[in-house]
Amino acid sequence: MDAAASLQVSTREVFGNISPWMRAAFYGMVFASLGVLAWQVAKRARLWRQGQPGGFARDWRLWARRLAVFALAQKRVHRKSLGAALHVLLFSGFVVLTIGTTLLMVADQGPVNFHRGWYYLFYELIMDVFGVALCLGCLLALHRRGFRRPVALGHQTRDWALLGLLLALGVTGFLVEALRLHYTQVETGVARWSVMGHFVNLILFPKLDLATARHLHLGFWWVHAVLVAALFVSIPVTRFLHVLTGPVNIAVRPDRPVGVLAPLRLEEVERTGRTGVAVLGDFTRQQLLSFDACMECGRCEEACPAWASGKPLSPKAVVVDLRQAMTERPAARALHGGVIGADTLWACTMCQACVQECPVLIGHVDLISDLRRHLVGEGQIAGPPAKAMASVGRQFNPYGRPATERLAWSAGLPVPTVETNPDFEYLLWVGCAAAFDPRAQKVARSLVQLLHEAQVNFAVLGREERCTGDVARRLGDEFLFQELARANVEILNGRKVKKIVTPCPHCFNTLQNEYPQFGGHYQVQHHSQMLADLVRSGRLKSAGKASAPVTLHDACYLARANSETAAPRALLQSATGTPVCEMPRHGAKTFCCGAGGGRMWFEEAPTQRVSRLRAVEATQTGAQTLATACPFCLNMMSDAMAGTPGGEQLRVLDVAEVLLEARGRTANATTRAEPAAPGTAKA
Amino acid sequence: MSEARPWIINPFDEIAIEEALRIRERGEAREVVGVTIAPSAAEEQIRAALAMGLDRALRVDDRRELDPYAVARILLAVVRQEKPDLVLMGKQAVDDDANQVGQMLAGLLNWPQATFVSKIEFLNGGQRAQCTRETDRGLEVIAVNLPAVVTTDLRLNEPRYVSLPGLMKARRRPIELLTCQQLAVEVQPRTTVAATSPAPRRSAGLKVESVEDLLVRLRQHEKVL
Amino acid sequence: MIQTLVILEHDGHCVKRASLSAVALARQLGGSYALGVLGSGVAEIADSVRSFGASVVLVADHPALAEPRADCYAAVIAETARQRGASTVVGTSSTFTKDILPRVAALLDAPMLSDVMAVEIKDGVPCYQRPLSAGSLCATVKLQGDVRVLTARGTAFHPPSPNGAPSPVEPIAFDAASLPNGTQFVSRERSTSTRPDLTEARVVVSGGRPLKDKETFERLIGGLADALGGAVGATRAAVDAGMAPNACQVGQTGTVVAPELYIAVGVSGAIQHLAGIQDSRVIVAINRDPDAPIFQMANYGLVGDLHALVPRLIEAVRA
Repeated sequence: MDAAASLQVSTREVFGNISPWMRAAFYGMVFASLGVLAWQVAKRARLWRQGQPGGFARDWRLWARRLAVFALAQKRVHRKSLGAALHVLLFSGFVVLTIGTTLLMVADQGPVNFHRGWYYLFYELIMDVFGVALCLGCLLALHRRGFRRPVALGHQTRDWALLGLLLALGVTGFLVEALRLHYTQVETGVARWSVMGHFVNLILFPKLDLATARHLHLGFWWVHAVLVAALFVSIPVTRFLHVLTGPVNIAVRPDRPVGVLAPLRLEEVERTGRTGVAVLGDFTRQQLLSFDACMECGRCEEACPAWASGKPLSPKAVVVDLRQAMTERPAARALHGGVIGADTLWACTMCQACVQECPVLIGHVDLISDLRRHLVGEGQIAGPPAKAMASVGRQFNPYGRPATERLAWSAGLPVPTVETNPDFEYLLWVGCAAAFDPRAQKVARSLVQLLHEAQVNFAVLGREERCTGDVARRLGDEFLFQELARANVEILNGRKVKKIVTPCPHCFNTLQNEYPQFGGHYQVQHHSQMLADLVRSGRLKSAGKASAPVTLHDACYLARANSETAAPRALLQSATGTPVCEMPRHGAKTFCCGAGGGRMWFEEAPTQRVSRLRAVEATQTGAQTLATACPFCLNMMSDAMAGTPGGEQLRVLDVAEVLLEARGRTANATTRAEPAAPGTAKA
Repeated sequence: MSEARPWIINPFDEIAIEEALRIRERGEAREVVGVTIAPSAAEEQIRAALAMGLDRALRVDDRRELDPYAVARILLAVVRQEKPDLVLMGKQAVDDDANQVGQMLAGLLNWPQATFVSKIEFLNGGQRAQCTRETDRGLEVIAVNLPAVVTTDLRLNEPRYVSLPGLMKARRRPIELLTCQQLAVEVQPRTTVAATSPAPRRSAGLKVESVEDLLVRLRQHEKVL
Repeated sequence: MIQTLVILEHDGHCVKRASLSAVALARQLGGSYALGVLGSGVAEIADSVRSFGASVVLVADHPALAEPRADCYAAVIAETARQRGASTVVGTSSTFTKDILPRVAALLDAPMLSDVMAVEIKDGVPCYQRPLSAGSLCATVKLQGDVRVLTARGTAFHPPSPNGAPSPVEPIAFDAASLPNGTQFVSRERSTSTRPDLTEARVVVSGGRPLKDKETFERLIGGLADALGGAVGATRAAVDAGMAPNACQVGQTGTVVAPELYIAVGVSGAIQHLAGIQDSRVIVAINRDPDAPIFQMANYGLVGDLHALVPRLIEAVRA
């Protein structure tokens, strides 16, 4: 037959072997199973409705953008790993096959049968290729689950059943196709386009007679049809639910940047008598929906520093336990203690690694924060973190130092204040750590020297500076935070501050991203950003004399929450003359030092210290210096190095100190700091 | 510029309040009543105590600088009125560090006392309290018949935190007001502070050259050895 | 009739040397003074204090007084003061006197001042100096009334040396049957170490990671603490490394201390540690690194190798 004629017959009969009543039965079964699916989903949706209204993003353009990036392109899923590869195969296979089958039904039922010619040939090819992809994905998944057995994934019988079901669908699909090709005696030129089916036909059914082929075809066709119905019905009760709920959560989850917590409103608390989340019904509807979006992949757990250090917190377990509670218990049943323990909640460093990893954009940190807010509202926090918050309330700093000592770090250095230099361009927000922690005071001193050298027009608030309140917000005393935020905004606006530079990423994050919630809009820079700019523009000459190799511990609130990884590196490169020697977990995938989320004030057993894990990673790079960009990281890593084999050789320095060193200077270059306040000693 | 939050309960009393609350939460006490002798400006502090969980709060209105004995005499009148089974207080005040009131009160009442307590357990169905005391000579365990006065050591517990929502709820609760006149007690302070001066400033960061130099300074200059 | 009754503290075997500081205060107040010893089987102790210039050594020796139960002791002391017409009762500040003497004051309807550091007699009226506001202020105070109770800060008054003619010893007459019986002594956990408790000690010596191991830590830090009669503390790093027990940890999440003298050996001065010592009166730091943060909080700093400096310091203290 010639090519043109061949093309003419390039089509296939739909439902060729299926009698009309069977066809009706088929549609009936499919719609029934879809009905069951819809009913089950509606039941879940009723559970979500128990939550507080709202929490949804409303902008459809945002939905579209997010769906394109995270649901179609699956940006979060991509990684160099077996899990990522198999998901691409499964996802693409399943999606393409579903679309293809639907197109087939449309072609069959609709006015025009477009299922012919080149369209048909390419259709067959694509369907077969993606059918193979689906089967291959299933096999890889079965292999991973059976042999690799990653702990974070979790294993249940229904997972095997689901994979088996999908594989069976793929296999029976090919068998049906092969048998159809056989009994309709499609000529080879066309049949070849149905690559896999043709291959199966040749291998399995070379000598089959037509009548048997028809019978077998019908048999397998029904098996396949029943499996489809079974798949629909199994969606709501297996991990597969994420194909529906995942994209929904991706689209509608709130549009708040990572690192920013939602404010509470005092009127709300007064009206409801409720702070934070005590029972399931206190979560928003979107949050409850997000529990169902979780497919338990375990990537959040793998990334969690608390989990890695042996603490009783797994972000995955939090979501799964809450989902379980949602399924089992009435919305009014208490969560604290029974479902989620306080230890679990306090273990979180709020590094946001879990949120960053989640392919369906679940906000684990928000869940933990909401639960913490309730605990703190009930006074169920004691010891050093409570004292830190009490100090923040009384003395405006968590260290319990008198507020009058705010400038003690600057003794001997000329530091302009907003009083002495009212025409400042940049406000240097020192932060409590650099003001009161002797180790971090050197960072402030180094920074000031560099700023003077670069002739930056800056000033500090001096005694007017108070804690940004970050520690209070992370620990859960939202109102203490708001009190401070409002007071600080008043002070900053009163001083006509427009641009701020700060050595602390927590202050940076709060001032830039959270203070707008209270009327404070400032252009905030982290000191590494400003210093990198100054070096680049030549205002600060770098002599490149600092000792290499240096490795960088990226700060969570700088690298992950605010996507700044270039500035500290540029700085270090110019200071040492060589690029940074990277740790395996670097950049936006940095591993927390353990101080965030208020954990700076918690006591930890030596075996459970997150910083120790990170210290080991640093020593393995062979670097001589570990650079940090955050005073908390500085504190934690200095401490951890002292207890780590090989750690004594590694110096821990802030990037500003490294830069200063590159110029042959030290932080305490001028006179020794003296305590500025009258002696607090007992006479 | 607004002031720092004024509501600070004496940290030692916070511990006493916390212990009382825990005793009630264990079911061993029926009611926890807090009493302060202070002018009305201290109401915020009392609210903080109420927010922690007191059942009732009393304030004896007195604006004077009272010495510990005067305080003890006023508390004596309150105790006679309220008839508690246990009086708990912090071991000392942060302003005058006197560490006397509890013991004086116990003497006036002729009740047993247990001071610097780091652990309390009730025995004989609440008739006695077994107290572990932190002393210079180590831990001492005594048992006192109730009613008794107990002063708390820093190690007794870690007080619960008070956040704004708790404080807000406490604002709606009443504070009972008493006067010395109502209590039929008249006290006159018998301590007069003639003068105060700042303590000698801690000298800062002096690097000494040798062990001998250090000892000279510690012995002669600081008089601490 | 005596002016002042000085209550002495003992441990069942001998008098606590620091409690003799109150004798110095009594001498400064002028007039005759008696020493009071309470306990059971304390004849030898009473004997040992006969040469401190007292008019009389008064002894209450009875099994009921075997343990210092505040209600009983206060009753006996108050009765003694009344019998002897004493206008002042003094003791050296300690948990013993802090427990008992305020109760005595209440029984005598007397005002009380604790932690007196100095006394000056102006126009026949004693003016007492004592600390206020966690030691940041020094107050000069006068007391009204015929009787008063005082405790003396041990470091402010030097205990006198024994000399002079021996004082007579007299028993205190009291009715044991009418003593209060609301308090029962249960037990005392005498710490296996003879060192004072961390929070009550006047002197605390702490060590950090550079002490290397348990033996060195005990030898140097323990040694210096013993030479100074102080308690032993440790940084979290030292505790983690097994050099010292958990109970010794000083810091924000360990024990907060405020001794007269805090000596930090090989301690870098992380803020968590400093938070636990910031109210100490005098802080001394010994460290190899001149830039260690601890030097910013220390009154005195000695830069050098602790392994050489600490033994020298121990020797010099003992000399």
